[in-house]
Amino acid sequence: MIRMFHVYKNYPNKIQALRDINIHIRKGEFVFLVGPTGAGKSTFVKLIYRGIVPTKGQVIVDGINIARLKPGYIPYLRRNIGIVFQDFKLLYNRTVYENISFGLKAIGATNFEIRQQVKKVLNLVGLEHKKKIKPHLLSGGEQQKLCIARAIANEPLILLTDEPTGNLDPYTSWEIMKLLFHINIRGTTIIMASHDKLMIDKAKKRIVRLERGRIIEDTQRGIY
Amino acid sequence: MIFENVGFYFREALLSFRRSTLMATAAVLSITTILIIVGVFLLISVNSNLFLKNIESQLEIIVYLKDNISTAELSNLKNNFTSMDGIKEVKFVSKEEAYQRLLKSLGEQKDILSAIETNPLPASFEIQTKDPKMIKQIANQIAELKKVEEVEYGQGTVEKLLNFTYIFRRAGMLILALLIFASILIISNIIKITVYARRNEIEIMSLTGATSWFIKWPFIIEGFLQGFISAILSIIILYKFYFFAINKVHQVIPFLPLVVGNMDLLPIGISILLLGSLVGILGSMFSVGKYLDV
Repeated sequence: MIRMFHVYKNYPNKIQALRDINIHIRKGEFVFLVGPTGAGKSTFVKLIYRGIVPTKGQVIVDGINIARLKPGYIPYLRRNIGIVFQDFKLLYNRTVYENISFGLKAIGATNFEIRQQVKKVLNLVGLEHKKKIKPHLLSGGEQQKLCIARAIANEPLILLTDEPTGNLDPYTSWEIMKLLFHINIRGTTIIMASHDKLMIDKAKKRIVRLERGRIIEDTQRGIY
Repeated sequence: MIFENVGFYFREALLSFRRSTLMATAAVLSITTILIIVGVFLLISVNSNLFLKNIESQLEIIVYLKDNISTAELSNLKNNFTSMDGIKEVKFVSKEEAYQRLLKSLGEQKDILSAIETNPLPASFEIQTKDPKMIKQIANQIAELKKVEEVEYGQGTVEKLLNFTYIFRRAGMLILALLIFASILIISNIIKITVYARRNEIEIMSLTGATSWFIKWPFIIEGFLQGFISAILSIIILYKFYFFAINKVHQVIPFLPLVVGNMDLLPIGISILLLGSLVGILGSMFSVGKYLDV
């Protein structure tokens, strides 16, 4: 699903965010991306959805070389990728329902498809009864669930999550994790950048550890 | 793609007005103010143009004829004038007519003329040129014709006047160009602020896989609407204000030529409408483009 070959990423201020990254993430895998702040986790995630291009090396996502992707085709790559941010990035002037329908409309779904799909994902995350309210009235955990619902609404092949449990209490965090496992079981490849030792140890999934831009550990069923 | 979603784009643009009423109102009011300033200047400039044209149209060449001119020579001269390039109107004033005019202008002092037995005034042609700038050249040409005694066109004064109107027009055009340039900058910056306030939305749309045009269209429509509504508002205000103002001016200076025809004012309205709408469209297009790079 995702392959990186000798990937380097330098930012204009000469910081080497990633150095010689080689990795293969298979379809349906659940991968934790761990490491201290500044290790390159966000850069790694951004490369996958082509928020940035590598300075050197190749990044192949679902058979597409992202460095050679023309700007006009980026939207079509992103339709296969759901993204969940730590800071939610919700639209607070729209309802829960509209936050999800908006993205589906953007990729050309019909009104019927949108209604079906929004209902389905809201049920999955347990927010069906709150579809008419605005996100600022939701709790932190509910907002994160809404982000997940939005990210999976168009049934992407890959789900990228950047510290989705970062600001949540342990109970809510575990709920979010269970939700992500559930999505993973249905076939979605999940990459989750996280610091959450408790969750990671409990999950027993593949762990990729980054430090100063290099992969220093890659273990199946690892612990933090 | 565009036509499929036209309804959606318009709904989104209108909804965004409702979602951020304060922002939209502030933007519309600011743009309206700028357009009114441009409009006031345009009105001043068309009126001063009319005023200058009016002055220039009063310029004419007077050709005094020798007393011994025959009828044949007279009609010959007249044909000569009408065949010349750049002449708009030729009017013959006979010796008798000239005398009557003098009598009239002297009024009660006309007795002075009784001291003179014969009519001392020469017959003349009054000639208006199509282009006031050609007046000197044509006058010189005429002076060389036979039986012409003297040519008068306000030598010296005409040059100064034309020089003045030339500078006045150029300065007006320069100020207008600067003003329009400034208004484009200000309006596009106002639009940019409204787009900036919604950069999150643009980023999210882009990350969910919306194409750049799908993201841009609602903003373009919104920018257009902001510009268009502002233009309409400023046209209404300018129209009311203008007719109120020219009424006042006419009360003080009744004979001052002013542009009053709706048809003559139409180009100004159209210019304001175009300025508002186009800058609204282009401003939002470029601003959204800036935030699309995620």
